Amino acid sequence: MRAKCVSRDLTCAAPNSVYSSQYNSLLQSRGTSISSLPLVEVHGISKAFGGVQALSNVSLNIAPGEVHALVGENGAGKSTLIKVLSGYHRPESGRVSVSGADLRLGDIAASEAAGIAVIHQESTAFPHLNTEDNIFVGREPRRFLGLLDRPLIRRRTRELLERLGQDFNPRVPVEELTVAQRQIVGIARALSKQSRLLIMDEPTASLSSRETDILFRLMRQLRSEGVSVLYISHRLEEVFELSDRVTVLRDGQTVRTRQTAEVDRTELIRMMVGRELGDQAAEQRPAQPSSRVMLEVRNLSRAGVFENVSFELRTGEIVGLAGLVGAGRSEVARAIFGIDSPTSGTAAVDGRNLQPGSVRSALQSGVALVPEDRQHQGLVLPMSVGENLVMVIQSLLARCGFRSSRRERPVVEKMIRKLDIRAASEGAAAESLSGGNQQKLVLGKWLATEPRLLLLDEPTRGIDVAAKTEVHSAIRKLADDGMAVLLISSDLSELLLMSDRIVVMRAGSVAGELSRTEATQEKVLHLALPSSDAATTAVGTA
Amino acid sequence: MSKKRAATKHGAGLGIGQMLGRLARQREYGMLALLALTVAAVQSINHSFLAAGNLSDMLVQCAPAAIVACGMTFIIVMGEIDISVGSMMGLLAAVVGVLVSKHHYGMSVDLSVLLTLLLGGCLGFINGLLVTVGRVPSIIVTLGMLTVLRGVTEMVLGGEWVTDLPHGLRFLGTGSLAGVPICLIVAAVVAVASIVVATQTPLGRRIYAVGSNPDAARIAGLHETRLKTLVFTLTGFLVAVATVVSVPQLSVIESGIGSGFELLVVTCVVVGGTSIKGGKGTIVGSLLGVLLLGTVRTDLIFLRLGEMSTYWERAIQGAFILAAVLVDHLVRRRGTVEAEA
Repeated sequence: MRAKCVSRDLTCAAPNSVYSSQYNSLLQSRGTSISSLPLVEVHGISKAFGGVQALSNVSLNIAPGEVHALVGENGAGKSTLIKVLSGYHRPESGRVSVSGADLRLGDIAASEAAGIAVIHQESTAFPHLNTEDNIFVGREPRRFLGLLDRPLIRRRTRELLERLGQDFNPRVPVEELTVAQRQIVGIARALSKQSRLLIMDEPTASLSSRETDILFRLMRQLRSEGVSVLYISHRLEEVFELSDRVTVLRDGQTVRTRQTAEVDRTELIRMMVGRELGDQAAEQRPAQPSSRVMLEVRNLSRAGVFENVSFELRTGEIVGLAGLVGAGRSEVARAIFGIDSPTSGTAAVDGRNLQPGSVRSALQSGVALVPEDRQHQGLVLPMSVGENLVMVIQSLLARCGFRSSRRERPVVEKMIRKLDIRAASEGAAAESLSGGNQQKLVLGKWLATEPRLLLLDEPTRGIDVAAKTEVHSAIRKLADDGMAVLLISSDLSELLLMSDRIVVMRAGSVAGELSRTEATQEKVLHLALPSSDAATTAVGTA
Repeated sequence: MSKKRAATKHGAGLGIGQMLGRLARQREYGMLALLALTVAAVQSINHSFLAAGNLSDMLVQCAPAAIVACGMTFIIVMGEIDISVGSMMGLLAAVVGVLVSKHHYGMSVDLSVLLTLLLGGCLGFINGLLVTVGRVPSIIVTLGMLTVLRGVTEMVLGGEWVTDLPHGLRFLGTGSLAGVPICLIVAAVVAVASIVVATQTPLGRRIYAVGSNPDAARIAGLHETRLKTLVFTLTGFLVAVATVVSVPQLSVIESGIGSGFELLVVTCVVVGGTSIKGGKGTIVGSLLGVLLLGTVRTDLIFLRLGEMSTYWERAIQGAFILAAVLVDHLVRRRGTVEAEA
């Protein structure tokens, strides 16, 4: 980690001797111009989706030749901010200026023309085209008769790749390149457009440590050439290693922008988490640990996805599964439920091993999985509430292969009552329900199988606060009735509120387990955020 | 970052996948081999197949499909499809016939041909607008168009045949310049022009870019709507070109001309390696596809199946398209496994 700078004093020792001269000159130039001439100035941006305020009054500025890190929890608004800067979203209020000139918001072309380029992990590339075409498509150099000036394209591609220190073949389709190389193609395209701000969204998420090194070297080089980088990463170590300043977003608001050298990891995490121990979480639930183990997961692994995951879950207990997006939480749930086969390890329900890779076996043992994406994996939206509720158990309720409404009706009515599903009637289409009620419907569909173990993946994503509370109390009630619940959520306060224990995953492994009393947002985040060592080994072996 | 490193990293198991992938990308070679095989087969049955006369007849038969396949390749590369080209050919044939016929309008050949070409472009343009501005899936748009145009063709012809084609028009179909049939010259010009457009112009690269990743194309500032409309228009125009140089080979114009033509063209293009999912495909591959299906058809004729040969032709066409899509799909799946590893 970078040595801590105690002041903005220009004599402060630069952290990395190799780049010290650059760093000093950067600081010096900033000393004279930072406040007068930022490259990009974001001022008071607000953006809401439906009822959810994704960004409110966000401001930050990015100096020329600066690597500016943007950090925050899942859902803090980082992606939305990027999309505003790249012209994908038009915010309701606020403005962005580039080199002092106002940027037309919500216009991709305007952002591009202003020199803002987003390097997504893969999505901006044309997989079937080669590197040369990827770099120049849309702005192709021409010669006589408007034909492509291939020699010029070739030469400039070579120059760009040389400048980036690359020597891969620019004539093969980029789908044949590695992920890192694809990102470099994106960078090369941005450079060819004279972009002045590169926005890099989790660029190292799928890179090996060696590739990460190359990328970092490249970013430092670009910085020294006066290109600014807005760097988004969950890996705080990278933020410390690379960035000059860091802005923290929380719940769609800017917390602060700090000189990276002036903060340490703990302080950064505290800023990301913000609020002191959630007031809701403080209301204690009398822990009523049962001795009966309902789910026992032993060294469950799926090659390249998660490794050696072990934990147990008792009847009447809610265990939260925490971790960053991509840490392997949903994948573990899918493996337990038998959608994916684990490569090794076992999951046992009530003492009996589940047959790996068999959903049927899981269902028979009383396991139910409520998937994350309720619209696509959970409900048939045009079908009625009743039909959705009995969908899984239809064949059990059928008589001689025909549906029996006499046998279906009590199940449907019971479920509607139990979960307090608010629908015009049980014949109403699922799509006519509110988000919270749709979510309860998904729950009900699986509860109709009368499970003993419920795996919930992001049960409250995208629903409003009131609906969340309803879903929460439904889950609580189920646990009180003796059901074992595994709760996967990216919403930390939800996990803290609901869980009797929290298992934290990081990069495919269990990073630690916290009891309800010892769990705090800081502790969970500390475990969930990769340290640079852990991150690189995990990715390297993936 | 060198290729060598990438290769060693993926290990031997995936080497096969990569090889398969590379082979699929170089579909042209596979096509050539298959073509050589069919030619050898037919040559062994009938030793006169490779005689100049026969070969020229076969190529002349292939010409209309080759011309339209060029446009169809662009359409499929963009992730769309046009199954109205057969009906379009039927209508355009009826129109050019009615225009030149003394019993109807009796226009000059030049003017009739010009109007037909214009009409072809317009029909393609309408397809394009419905797909881009109307945002209707192209399969539905052109399916509708297929039916509508058949109806219009019947109306234009009024249930009659046009039999009095003037010499000038017949010449376009049957004449030759310096010993080369006109339709082959036209097909060659269209093919070369299409290859140049596809590989050597910004337009071509943009068409592939939109087909490869529409979102990224939008971010890169490409006009998907304009490009797609243009490509449909171009294809309509090419159908008219194909009609003008092929239909006059017959002495009669009736309402059934062009039926099944859309299936033939789509098959040629897909068999030639163009991915039905867009982004990938070459003009050369499609032309090889045309030759392959043309040779197969000749094979069937030489097998003296008589009436049966038409049925066999359909069945084989269908089998080809299924095989091509399956190969494409398998390769793609291998490709994703490779990418995930």
